[in-house]
Amino acid sequence: MTGLKLVFMRRALLILFLGLSYLTSDGQSNEMAPVTRTYAIKNARIIQAPGRVIDEGVLIIKNGIITAVGKNIDIPAGARIIQADSLYVYAGFIDGLSHTGVPKPREEDLSKKVKDPGNPPNDIAGIEPQKDVRNMLDPSDKSVDEMRRLGFAVSHAVPHGRMLPGQGAIILHAGETPDAMVYKQQVSLFSQLSGAPGIYPNTVIGVMAKYRGLYRQAEQAKAYNARYIQSAAGMERPVSDRILEAFYPVIDKQLPVVFKAEDVLSIQRVLDLKSQLGFNLILADVKQGWDISEKIKNSGAKLFLSLDLPEMEEKKSETDTTRAEDKKEEVRSDSDLEKQRLQARKDAMIKKYYQQPALLHSQGMIFGFSTLEAKSKDIRANLSKLVENGLSEDAALAALTTSPAQLLGLSATMGTLDNGKIANLVITDKSYFDKESKVKYVFVDGKMFEYKDEPKPKKNGDAVKVAGKWTYNTETPQGVHTGDIIINGEEDDYSGTISSTVSGDTNDLSDISVDGDQLSFSFTVVIDGNAVLIDVLVTVDEDTFEGTMTAGDYGSYPIEGERTPEK
Amino acid sequence: MKKYTTIVLLLLFSLVAQAQQKGTVLIKNGTVLTITNGTLEATDVLIKDGIISKIGKGLNAPKGARTIDATGMYVMPGIIDAHSHIALDAVNEATSPVTAEVWTGDAINPMDVSIYRALAGGVTISHALHGSANAIGGESETIKHRYGTVDPDVLRMKEAPRTIKFALGENPTRVHGGGSGIVPRTRMGVEAVFRSSFSEAREYMKKWDDYNVNKNKKGFKGTAPQYDLRLETLADILRGEIIVHCHSYRADEIYMLMQVFKDFGIKKLVFQHVNEGFKVAPELAEFGAMASVFSDWWAYKFEVYYSTAYNATILHKNGVVTSINSDSGELIRHLYHEAAKTQKYGGLSDNDALSMITINPAKQLGIESRVGSIEEGKDGDIAIFKNHPLSIYTIPMMTIVDGVVEFDRENDADDMRIYADPKETIDVTLHETGHAGDRCMQDAEFLFHE
Repeated sequence: MTGLKLVFMRRALLILFLGLSYLTSDGQSNEMAPVTRTYAIKNARIIQAPGRVIDEGVLIIKNGIITAVGKNIDIPAGARIIQADSLYVYAGFIDGLSHTGVPKPREEDLSKKVKDPGNPPNDIAGIEPQKDVRNMLDPSDKSVDEMRRLGFAVSHAVPHGRMLPGQGAIILHAGETPDAMVYKQQVSLFSQLSGAPGIYPNTVIGVMAKYRGLYRQAEQAKAYNARYIQSAAGMERPVSDRILEAFYPVIDKQLPVVFKAEDVLSIQRVLDLKSQLGFNLILADVKQGWDISEKIKNSGAKLFLSLDLPEMEEKKSETDTTRAEDKKEEVRSDSDLEKQRLQARKDAMIKKYYQQPALLHSQGMIFGFSTLEAKSKDIRANLSKLVENGLSEDAALAALTTSPAQLLGLSATMGTLDNGKIANLVITDKSYFDKESKVKYVFVDGKMFEYKDEPKPKKNGDAVKVAGKWTYNTETPQGVHTGDIIINGEEDDYSGTISSTVSGDTNDLSDISVDGDQLSFSFTVVIDGNAVLIDVLVTVDEDTFEGTMTAGDYGSYPIEGERTPEK
Repeated sequence: MKKYTTIVLLLLFSLVAQAQQKGTVLIKNGTVLTITNGTLEATDVLIKDGIISKIGKGLNAPKGARTIDATGMYVMPGIIDAHSHIALDAVNEATSPVTAEVWTGDAINPMDVSIYRALAGGVTISHALHGSANAIGGESETIKHRYGTVDPDVLRMKEAPRTIKFALGENPTRVHGGGSGIVPRTRMGVEAVFRSSFSEAREYMKKWDDYNVNKNKKGFKGTAPQYDLRLETLADILRGEIIVHCHSYRADEIYMLMQVFKDFGIKKLVFQHVNEGFKVAPELAEFGAMASVFSDWWAYKFEVYYSTAYNATILHKNGVVTSINSDSGELIRHLYHEAAKTQKYGGLSDNDALSMITINPAKQLGIESRVGSIEEGKDGDIAIFKNHPLSIYTIPMMTIVDGVVEFDRENDADDMRIYADPKETIDVTLHETGHAGDRCMQDAEFLFHE
């Protein structure tokens, strides 16, 4: 073969592959405008809203809007027809709080740049309420596709950050540009009780004090501005301050504060701030609200429950029982009995997380779900768990559709399958809450996404590949630590090192082990002259990992990392 | 079925008490150590709706109320710890030498099992102090050990006045001077921080006063000073609304702080640790400053070498209101032993020794009108001991807060955690809890150098 021919062959192959990938693009909206923007979904079980079902119905979409729903509806000429016999159609789900479409910025340790840790610049301290999530959106971020595949058409998206990361927006999970994704801008002021590593405000007491201080200053500045507008002559000019100005619409109650508050104490701390400062509050990513539901209800705060749930270890299978009987003597020992009691206590606690939505629903509370901390791969299984633990399918559907629409002020255009609503749909082959069900189509803003194959599930038991070079970062109260982890060798014979850009030290790893997608290892560092054993346990997902690092009595901190591409 | 599920769910979820409970209970026939009114043999104490309503003989319990037979046992006021860091999710906001705006009340963790351990040592109230990383630390919270709730508000002792933590010597100089390279680097620097902070607060108050006088005048165009929570708190100290609790060891700097406070007209002052207090006991008494000390703990750093176990006695004999504290989730369980050491070192009377863990810490926290002794009208906070509480053989039998039995040795479950950790690794050989020991410098270790 001549060189020239080879080049042509390559080109032809390239074109062929490109073409193929275009044709089979799974779940991707075609880059070319579709031939028609009119769709007819025929013969489907249409769940217009919780408890409102049309069997063998028709739903027509035109130009991104639902124009007809019901039986005996004429199908417009030129409509693309989707034969949906035996399929279920729901309104597209609405995520009450997430970072969907917002890439996580790289962690840097900026605190070292601060001369006086008690008086850091606002951006380094995590105080950036003037920021707008619209400026951070990336329509191609993989989270958009991941959430869409699950049936989520809409998110209340907020920036990453610490105490005051910026303002949220309602985004549609479709659109070529950030602006095309945005349905409603500046819908919330996002807040968290997270301190800044190594600098003020560092702890929860610092964050609470700073929040009160900023809010009171904003009230004062706002009142002065109002006076100045009335009669400026002779008055000192008010100084522009973007941080304080970001609170003005909050003070006017035009903009709610959305606070991430997971545990029972954080929720109550946030409720304290609300009652002292008086802002409208959306409590989001709530995990432990069951004992204080009355308090939440009385506060008037809107509520989104986290779809991140703790995992219950699987009970031993039947085949193990014989082995357990052999060990009967051992089981009787005091420590085993205590272990059993502790395990039962732990399981009962986990059960409370699972039962929480059912409980709150039975108490007449209205809530949606949020996914700030939830991993997309766990979300469907977690929804099933909630239903298994007493939440009716209708109530679960309400928490995914009508309730978040109501709580976020979107009911006019979203949350149900009715004439005139935005065409956000989820189409499944069985009830969505059936574990075996598959999402077949998702419509967002009238754009169709078709899912032929589920993303390949990880083979269970197969150990992930961990050998290679990784970069990591971890945030402790002392600051952000970054460095490299190098793992050599193969299964049962790993060795490796971890380096820190902060200390400049490199330490050897010990006890490296891989179990399925779990990687664990240990290393020793010297803190204040004492050797401290650090244990790391992470979940590896191809080229990234996430997990925790435990440093003896110093506490546990999140750690994450990614594989350094091989050259 | 649905109804059944709901009922089961409600039952499962209703184990945690929410409101501040007040109990009614009759304690019969004990030896009552009133602290303020001597020892009463074979006497009954009736607590009604959380308040001690009657002390006497042959009292009858109201209908349905629990009666506790204390025959042969000792009934004393609930023990009060004036220096503790239990039940806190954050102890130090260590990033700045002055953090008067922060408040440990924001970090109360009512689920800390240390509260129950303290109850098991007869302690009914503790002072949840900010740590000692800063010259001027944060406001603190006085908590009642009402264990069994997830609501931090339930623990707050609403009647207690505001308190704030100050610190002298090595901690603030090492954290800020050594760790961050800023003032204070030396003891002189610590004094300078106090003086400049209070001067700034005075100016702030004056600006507000001027503004308030003029703001309603016709044609007023002036501006108010910018609201500053840190200066607001410092101003409240100058106004006498907050009791200062100052971490201290050396006599020279104890004396220094009294001079600073005299210059700024601040009167409410309690020294914490105050290991060299015995050297300046008359001066402390003259100022009216109080002292909260360790019984016999020292030499854990350079500034704590010059110490004596007679410190509490010497301070007491010089007229300084003195208490003995724990500063530790472990020591808090046996403060009655700590108080007894004043009898070994100094030969204090039973009553004076017990005052050090009851009425005296109550005075230091400004709550002596409610607690610290067994008197009619005071809160029903009681500790019942098997033997005299100062005996080495004694055993705490029962602890009562607001008339509610919070600890009962006869009915003491193994697992008293309120919430289990859904992610915990179950390991019954795990010994370290991370809750015991000194937490004074918690959250500040990373700034601690040299």
